[in-house]
Amino acid sequence: MFMKTFEEKWTAWLDGELRGKDLAEFEASLPDRAAAEAEKIEAQKLGTLLKRELSARAMGNEEFFNHQLRGQIEAESITKRDESPRPGFSWSIGRLFWTGATALALFVVCTFFVMRNKEPADQSQYLSQILNARVDPALGPNATISMFQAKEDKVTVLWVDGLQTLPAEYAAK
Amino acid sequence: MQTEATPAEADVSELDLVKRCQAGDTDAFDQLVTRYRQRIFGMIYNMVHNEQDAWDLAQDSFIKAWKSIARFRGQSSFYTWMYRIVTNVTIDWLRKKQVKGTGAEFDDSIELKTIEPGSRTVPKADALPFQRMEQNEIRARIDEAIKELSPEHRAVILMKETEGMQYHEIAEALECSIGTVMSRLFYARKKLQNLLRDVYENV
Repeated sequence: MFMKTFEEKWTAWLDGELRGKDLAEFEASLPDRAAAEAEKIEAQKLGTLLKRELSARAMGNEEFFNHQLRGQIEAESITKRDESPRPGFSWSIGRLFWTGATALALFVVCTFFVMRNKEPADQSQYLSQILNARVDPALGPNATISMFQAKEDKVTVLWVDGLQTLPAEYAAK
Repeated sequence: MQTEATPAEADVSELDLVKRCQAGDTDAFDQLVTRYRQRIFGMIYNMVHNEQDAWDLAQDSFIKAWKSIARFRGQSSFYTWMYRIVTNVTIDWLRKKQVKGTGAEFDDSIELKTIEPGSRTVPKADALPFQRMEQNEIRARIDEAIKELSPEHRAVILMKETEGMQYHEIAEALECSIGTVMSRLFYARKKLQNLLRDVYENV
Protein backbone atom coordinates (compact mmCIF):
# COMPACT_ATOMS: atom_id res chain seq x y z
CA MET A 1 0.00 0.00 0.00
CA PHE A 2 1.54 3.27 -1.10
CA MET A 3 0.86 6.09 1.32
CA LYS A 4 1.75 9.67 0.66
CA THR A 5 0.30 11.81 3.41
CA PHE A 6 0.67 11.79 7.17
CA GLU A 7 -3.09 11.18 7.54
CA GLU A 8 -2.89 8.02 5.45
CA LYS A 9 0.12 6.71 7.37
CA TRP A 10 -1.43 7.56 10.73
CA THR A 11 -4.66 5.73 9.82
CA ALA A 12 -2.74 2.69 8.61
CA TRP A 13 -0.68 2.75 11.81
CA LEU A 14 -3.81 2.92 14.01
CA ASP A 15 -5.39 0.01 12.14
CA GLY A 16 -2.22 -2.08 12.31
CA GLU A 17 -1.75 -1.95 8.56
CA LEU A 18 1.79 -0.56 8.66
CA ARG A 19 4.47 -3.20 8.62
CA GLY A 20 8.21 -3.67 8.24
CA LYS A 21 10.19 -0.75 6.97
CA ASP A 22 7.13 1.51 6.66
CA LEU A 23 6.23 0.91 10.31
CA ALA A 24 9.75 1.55 11.54
CA GLU A 25 10.06 4.72 9.49
CA PHE A 26 6.71 6.06 10.63
CA GLU A 27 7.30 5.34 14.31
CA ALA A 28 10.74 6.94 14.08
CA SER A 29 9.17 10.05 12.56
CA LEU A 30 6.73 10.54 15.45
CA PRO A 31 7.83 13.47 17.61
CA ASP A 32 6.14 12.12 20.74
CA ARG A 33 5.82 8.36 20.61
CA ALA A 34 4.09 8.08 24.00
CA ALA A 35 1.39 10.58 23.04
CA ALA A 36 0.86 8.79 19.75
CA GLU A 37 0.48 5.46 21.53
CA ALA A 38 -2.04 7.03 23.92
CA GLU A 39 -4.03 8.34 20.97
CA LYS A 40 -3.90 4.93 19.35
CA ILE A 41 -5.48 3.44 22.46
CA GLU A 42 -8.13 6.16 22.41
CA ALA A 43 -8.93 5.43 18.77
CA GLN A 44 -9.26 1.75 19.61
CA LYS A 45 -11.65 2.60 22.46
CA LEU A 46 -13.68 4.72 20.10
CA GLY A 47 -13.81 1.87 17.60
CA THR A 48 -14.96 -0.56 20.28
CA LEU A 49 -17.63 1.86 21.45
CA LEU A 50 -18.96 2.44 17.95
CA LYS A 51 -18.97 -1.25 17.14
CA ARG A 52 -20.80 -2.13 20.34
CA GLU A 53 -23.36 0.63 20.19
CA LEU A 54 -24.02 0.87 16.49
CA SER A 55 -23.78 -2.61 15.11
CA ALA A 56 -26.75 -4.03 16.97
CA ARG A 57 -29.47 -1.96 15.34
CA ALA A 58 -32.11 -4.42 14.22
CA MET A 59 -34.85 -4.12 11.68
CA GLY A 60 -38.28 -5.16 12.83
CA ASN A 61 -40.80 -6.87 10.52
CA GLU A 62 -38.13 -8.43 8.35
CA GLU A 63 -40.58 -10.54 6.40
CA PHE A 64 -42.73 -7.53 5.70
CA PHE A 65 -39.64 -5.80 4.34
CA ASN A 66 -39.24 -8.56 1.74
CA HIS A 67 -42.97 -8.61 1.05
CA GLN A 68 -43.04 -4.86 0.42
CA LEU A 69 -39.98 -5.11 -1.78
CA ARG A 70 -41.50 -7.91 -3.87
CA GLY A 71 -44.62 -5.78 -4.28
CA GLN A 72 -42.56 -2.83 -5.50
CA ILE A 73 -40.59 -4.99 -7.91
CA GLU A 74 -43.80 -6.47 -9.30
CA ALA A 75 -45.31 -3.01 -9.68
CA GLU A 76 -42.15 -1.83 -11.45
CA SER A 77 -42.27 -4.81 -13.82
CA ILE A 78 -45.93 -4.16 -14.67
CA THR A 79 -45.24 -0.49 -15.33
CA LYS A 80 -42.26 -1.45 -17.48
CA ARG A 81 -44.36 -3.92 -19.48
CA ASP A 82 -47.10 -1.32 -20.00
CA GLU A 83 -44.64 1.31 -21.06
CA SER A 84 -42.79 -0.93 -23.50
CA PRO A 85 -44.01 -0.42 -27.12
CA ARG A 86 -45.90 -3.18 -28.97
CA PRO A 87 -43.63 -5.47 -30.99
CA GLY A 88 -45.07 -4.23 -34.32
CA PHE A 89 -44.05 -0.72 -33.53
CA SER A 90 -40.71 -1.30 -32.00
CA TRP A 91 -38.46 0.47 -34.47
CA SER A 92 -34.86 0.66 -33.62
CA ILE A 93 -32.89 3.88 -33.90
CA GLY A 94 -31.07 2.50 -36.96
CA ARG A 95 -34.31 1.57 -38.67
CA LEU A 96 -35.79 4.97 -37.93
CA PHE A 97 -32.68 6.64 -39.30
CA TRP A 98 -32.70 4.71 -42.58
CA THR A 99 -36.43 5.28 -43.05
CA GLY A 100 -35.95 8.99 -42.48
CA ALA A 101 -32.96 9.14 -44.83
CA THR A 102 -34.85 7.28 -47.60
CA ALA A 103 -37.88 9.54 -47.25
CA LEU A 104 -35.66 12.60 -47.42
CA ALA A 105 -33.85 11.32 -50.54
CA LEU A 106 -37.18 10.59 -52.22
CA PHE A 107 -38.39 14.06 -51.39
CA VAL A 108 -35.24 15.66 -52.83
CA VAL A 109 -35.52 13.67 -56.10
CA CYS A 110 -39.22 14.50 -56.54
CA THR A 111 -38.59 18.16 -55.77
CA PHE A 112 -35.80 18.25 -58.34
CA PHE A 113 -38.01 16.88 -61.15
CA VAL A 114 -40.93 19.10 -60.25
CA MET A 115 -38.75 22.19 -60.16
CA ARG A 116 -37.10 21.29 -63.46
CA ASN A 117 -40.43 21.08 -65.29
CA LYS A 118 -41.92 24.06 -63.63
CA GLU A 119 -42.32 27.26 -65.71
CA PRO A 120 -41.07 30.53 -64.30
CA ALA A 121 -43.56 31.94 -61.87
CA ASP A 122 -44.13 35.22 -63.71
CA GLN A 123 -45.56 33.45 -66.76
CA SER A 124 -49.27 32.85 -66.78
CA GLN A 125 -50.67 29.38 -67.04
CA TYR A 126 -52.69 30.69 -69.95
CA LEU A 127 -49.81 32.26 -71.74
CA SER A 128 -50.90 32.57 -75.24
CA GLN A 129 -49.77 34.00 -78.44
CA ILE A 130 -51.67 35.71 -81.14
CA LEU A 131 -51.70 33.44 -84.12
CA ASN A 132 -53.89 35.43 -86.45
CA ALA A 133 -55.09 38.95 -86.18
CA ARG A 134 -56.20 39.69 -89.71
CA VAL A 135 -59.56 41.31 -90.06
CA ASP A 136 -61.22 42.27 -93.27
CA PRO A 137 -61.88 46.03 -92.98
CA ALA A 138 -65.07 45.49 -94.96
CA LEU A 139 -66.52 43.23 -92.38
CA GLY A 140 -65.71 45.34 -89.46
CA PRO A 141 -63.40 48.28 -89.41
CA ASN A 142 -62.95 48.09 -85.62
CA ALA A 143 -62.93 44.35 -85.43
CA THR A 144 -60.10 42.43 -83.87
CA ILE A 145 -59.75 38.73 -83.73
CA SER A 146 -57.32 37.09 -81.43
CA MET A 147 -56.60 33.42 -81.04
CA PHE A 148 -55.14 32.24 -77.82
CA GLN A 149 -53.66 28.88 -77.44
CA ALA A 150 -52.99 27.38 -74.04
CA LYS A 151 -49.48 26.22 -73.49
CA GLU A 152 -50.30 22.57 -73.46
CA ASP A 153 -52.21 22.90 -76.77
CA LYS A 154 -55.31 21.48 -75.28
CA VAL A 155 -57.42 24.59 -75.32
CA THR A 156 -57.78 27.24 -77.95
CA VAL A 157 -59.69 30.41 -77.30
CA LEU A 158 -60.85 32.60 -80.15
CA TRP A 159 -61.50 36.14 -79.03
CA VAL A 160 -63.55 38.17 -81.45
CA ASP A 161 -64.33 41.78 -80.73
CA GLY A 162 -66.09 44.52 -82.76
CA LEU A 163 -67.73 42.27 -85.41
CA GLN A 164 -71.32 42.78 -86.46
CA THR A 165 -71.70 39.21 -87.64
CA LEU A 166 -69.56 36.16 -87.60
CA PRO A 167 -67.73 35.62 -90.93
CA ALA A 168 -68.96 32.63 -92.90
CA GLU A 169 -65.68 30.77 -92.69
CA TYR A 170 -65.94 30.86 -88.86
CA ALA A 171 -69.48 29.72 -88.75
CA ALA A 172 -70.10 26.39 -87.23
CA LYS A 173 -70.57 23.60 -89.67
CA MET B 1 -18.16 -9.91 6.95
CA GLN B 2 -21.16 -11.47 8.57
CA THR B 3 -24.42 -12.12 6.85
CA GLU B 4 -27.67 -13.39 8.30
CA ALA B 5 -27.94 -16.36 5.98
CA THR B 6 -29.05 -19.65 7.39
CA PRO B 7 -26.77 -22.65 6.68
CA ALA B 8 -29.15 -23.87 3.97
CA GLU B 9 -29.16 -20.49 2.31
CA ALA B 10 -25.42 -20.18 2.63
CA ASP B 11 -25.07 -23.34 0.53
CA VAL B 12 -26.31 -21.41 -2.44
CA SER B 13 -23.42 -19.30 -3.57
CA GLU B 14 -23.86 -15.59 -3.89
CA LEU B 15 -22.74 -15.74 -7.50
CA ASP B 16 -25.41 -18.32 -8.36
CA LEU B 17 -28.04 -16.12 -6.80
CA VAL B 18 -26.77 -13.11 -8.71
CA LYS B 19 -26.84 -15.05 -11.99
CA ARG B 20 -30.39 -16.16 -11.32
CA CYS B 21 -31.35 -12.57 -10.53
CA GLN B 22 -29.81 -11.49 -13.82
CA ALA B 23 -32.09 -14.01 -15.52
CA GLY B 24 -35.06 -12.34 -13.83
CA ASP B 25 -35.53 -14.73 -10.89
CA THR B 26 -37.17 -12.68 -8.14
CA ASP B 27 -36.95 -15.57 -5.66
CA ALA B 28 -33.17 -15.47 -5.92
CA PHE B 29 -33.24 -11.74 -5.29
CA ASP B 30 -35.45 -12.36 -2.29
CA GLN B 31 -32.75 -14.63 -0.88
CA LEU B 32 -30.09 -11.98 -1.40
CA VAL B 33 -32.32 -9.44 0.33
CA THR B 34 -32.79 -11.79 3.26
CA ARG B 35 -29.03 -12.21 3.54
CA TYR B 36 -28.22 -8.52 3.64
CA ARG B 37 -31.32 -6.63 4.78
CA GLN B 38 -30.28 -6.37 8.44
CA ARG B 39 -26.80 -5.13 7.70
CA ILE B 40 -28.00 -2.72 5.06
CA PHE B 41 -30.73 -1.41 7.33
CA GLY B 42 -28.31 -1.05 10.25
CA MET B 43 -25.81 0.81 8.12
CA ILE B 44 -28.43 3.20 6.79
CA TYR B 45 -29.96 3.69 10.22
CA ASN B 46 -26.60 4.70 11.64
CA MET B 47 -26.33 7.34 8.95
CA VAL B 48 -29.86 8.76 9.04
CA HIS B 49 -30.93 7.96 12.63
CA ASN B 50 -34.56 7.35 11.79
CA GLU B 51 -36.19 3.96 11.42
CA GLN B 52 -38.76 4.91 8.82
CA ASP B 53 -36.22 6.73 6.67
CA ALA B 54 -33.78 3.84 7.03
CA TRP B 55 -36.51 1.41 5.98
CA ASP B 56 -37.45 3.50 2.94
CA LEU B 57 -33.85 4.03 1.91
CA ALA B 58 -33.12 0.33 2.28
CA GLN B 59 -36.12 -0.41 0.05
CA ASP B 60 -34.92 2.15 -2.51
CA SER B 61 -31.44 0.67 -2.45
CA PHE B 62 -32.67 -2.87 -3.08
CA ILE B 63 -34.99 -1.68 -5.86
CA LYS B 64 -32.04 0.07 -7.51
CA ALA B 65 -29.96 -3.07 -7.09
CA TRP B 66 -32.68 -5.15 -8.76
CA LYS B 67 -32.97 -2.70 -11.65
CA SER B 68 -29.25 -2.60 -12.28
CA ILE B 69 -28.26 -6.15 -11.42
CA ALA B 70 -27.84 -6.94 -15.12
CA ARG B 71 -24.84 -4.57 -15.07
CA PHE B 72 -23.18 -6.35 -12.12
CA ARG B 73 -20.09 -8.00 -13.56
CA GLY B 74 -18.84 -9.73 -10.43
CA GLN B 75 -15.62 -7.70 -10.26
CA SER B 76 -16.34 -7.07 -6.59
CA SER B 77 -18.51 -9.01 -4.17
CA PHE B 78 -22.26 -8.46 -4.35
CA TYR B 79 -22.07 -7.05 -0.84
CA THR B 80 -19.56 -4.36 -1.82
CA TRP B 81 -21.54 -3.58 -4.95
CA MET B 82 -24.70 -3.33 -2.87
CA TYR B 83 -22.92 -1.04 -0.42
CA ARG B 84 -22.04 1.27 -3.27
CA ILE B 85 -25.72 1.63 -4.08
CA VAL B 86 -26.64 2.05 -0.42
CA THR B 87 -24.07 4.78 0.21
CA ASN B 88 -25.03 6.64 -2.96
CA VAL B 89 -28.71 6.53 -2.10
CA THR B 90 -28.13 7.53 1.53
CA ILE B 91 -25.58 10.26 0.88
CA ASP B 92 -27.84 11.76 -1.80
CA TRP B 93 -30.74 11.69 0.61
CA LEU B 94 -28.67 13.32 3.39
CA ARG B 95 -27.47 16.04 1.04
CA LYS B 96 -31.01 16.79 -0.11
CA LYS B 97 -32.15 16.88 3.49
CA GLN B 98 -29.35 19.28 4.38
CA VAL B 99 -30.34 21.55 1.50
CA LYS B 100 -34.01 21.46 2.47
CA GLY B 101 -33.12 22.03 6.14
CA THR B 102 -35.99 20.00 7.50
CA GLY B 103 -34.93 20.42 11.08
CA ALA B 104 -33.77 17.82 13.55
CA GLU B 105 -32.47 14.60 12.12
CA PHE B 106 -33.11 12.45 15.12
CA ASP B 107 -36.78 11.83 15.53
CA ASP B 108 -36.79 8.49 17.21
CA SER B 109 -33.67 8.41 19.33
CA ILE B 110 -35.84 8.10 22.45
CA GLU B 111 -37.35 4.90 21.10
CA LEU B 112 -34.02 3.26 20.41
CA LYS B 113 -34.03 -0.45 20.92
CA THR B 114 -31.31 -1.72 23.16
CA ILE B 115 -29.92 -4.90 21.80
CA GLU B 116 -27.27 -7.08 23.30
CA PRO B 117 -24.00 -7.12 21.43
CA GLY B 118 -23.88 -10.19 19.26
CA SER B 119 -27.65 -10.53 19.17
CA ARG B 120 -29.00 -10.93 15.65
CA THR B 121 -32.49 -9.59 15.87
CA VAL B 122 -34.04 -9.88 19.32
CA PRO B 123 -32.60 -8.70 22.62
CA LYS B 124 -31.70 -11.61 24.86
CA ALA B 125 -33.10 -9.90 27.91
CA ASP B 126 -34.53 -6.56 28.82
CA ALA B 127 -32.03 -4.29 30.45
CA LEU B 128 -32.83 -2.75 33.78
CA PRO B 129 -34.44 0.69 33.51
CA PHE B 130 -31.36 2.61 34.63
CA GLN B 131 -29.16 0.57 32.29
CA ARG B 132 -31.53 1.24 29.43
CA MET B 133 -31.50 4.93 30.23
CA GLU B 134 -27.73 4.97 30.30
CA GLN B 135 -27.52 3.08 27.02
CA ASN B 136 -30.03 5.43 25.42
CA GLU B 137 -27.98 8.35 26.60
CA ILE B 138 -24.79 6.89 25.17
CA ARG B 139 -26.49 6.08 21.90
CA ALA B 140 -27.90 9.61 21.70
CA ARG B 141 -24.43 11.06 22.28
CA ILE B 142 -22.97 8.88 19.54
CA ASP B 143 -25.78 9.82 17.15
CA GLU B 144 -25.24 13.50 17.88
CA ALA B 145 -21.52 13.12 17.28
CA ILE B 146 -22.03 11.25 14.00
CA LYS B 147 -24.46 13.95 12.93
CA GLU B 148 -21.54 16.37 13.09
CA LEU B 149 -19.73 14.45 10.35
CA SER B 150 -20.25 14.97 6.65
CA PRO B 151 -22.18 12.19 4.84
CA GLU B 152 -18.94 10.88 3.31
CA HIS B 153 -17.14 10.79 6.67
CA ARG B 154 -20.14 9.06 8.26
CA ALA B 155 -20.08 6.39 5.59
CA VAL B 156 -16.36 5.76 5.96
CA ILE B 157 -16.29 5.52 9.75
CA LEU B 158 -19.37 3.27 9.86
CA MET B 159 -18.08 0.94 7.17
CA LYS B 160 -14.75 0.64 8.94
CA GLU B 161 -15.77 0.49 12.58
CA THR B 162 -19.13 -1.26 12.48
CA GLU B 163 -18.97 -3.26 9.26
CA GLY B 164 -15.31 -4.15 9.52
CA MET B 165 -14.75 -3.43 5.85
CA GLN B 166 -11.25 -3.18 4.42
CA TYR B 167 -9.95 0.06 2.92
CA HIS B 168 -10.21 -1.27 -0.62
CA GLU B 169 -13.80 -2.41 -0.06
CA ILE B 170 -14.76 1.00 1.29
CA ALA B 171 -12.99 2.65 -1.64
CA GLU B 172 -14.94 0.46 -4.08
CA ALA B 173 -18.22 1.16 -2.32
CA LEU B 174 -17.63 4.91 -2.27
CA GLU B 175 -15.95 4.98 -5.68
CA CYS B 176 -12.90 6.85 -4.41
CA SER B 177 -9.23 6.08 -3.84
CA ILE B 178 -7.88 4.15 -0.85
CA GLY B 179 -5.93 7.27 0.10
CA THR B 180 -9.16 9.25 0.27
CA VAL B 181 -10.72 6.59 2.47
CA MET B 182 -7.76 6.69 4.85
CA SER B 183 -7.74 10.45 4.92
CA ARG B 184 -11.47 10.59 5.65
CA LEU B 185 -11.03 8.03 8.40
CA PHE B 186 -8.30 10.14 9.97
CA TYR B 187 -10.51 13.24 10.19
CA ALA B 188 -13.67 11.37 11.16
CA ARG B 189 -11.85 9.62 14.02
CA LYS B 190 -10.26 12.85 15.23
CA LYS B 191 -13.63 14.56 15.34
CA LEU B 192 -15.38 11.67 17.05
CA GLN B 193 -12.55 11.35 19.57
CA ASN B 194 -13.02 15.00 20.51
CA LEU B 195 -16.78 14.67 20.77
CA LEU B 196 -16.99 11.30 22.51
CA ARG B 197 -13.87 11.21 24.69
CA ASP B 198 -15.82 11.37 27.94
CA VAL B 199 -18.15 8.60 26.73
CA TYR B 200 -15.58 6.01 25.80
CA GLU B 201 -13.37 6.86 28.78
CA ASN B 202 -16.22 6.28 31.23
CA VAL B 203 -17.98 3.31 29.68
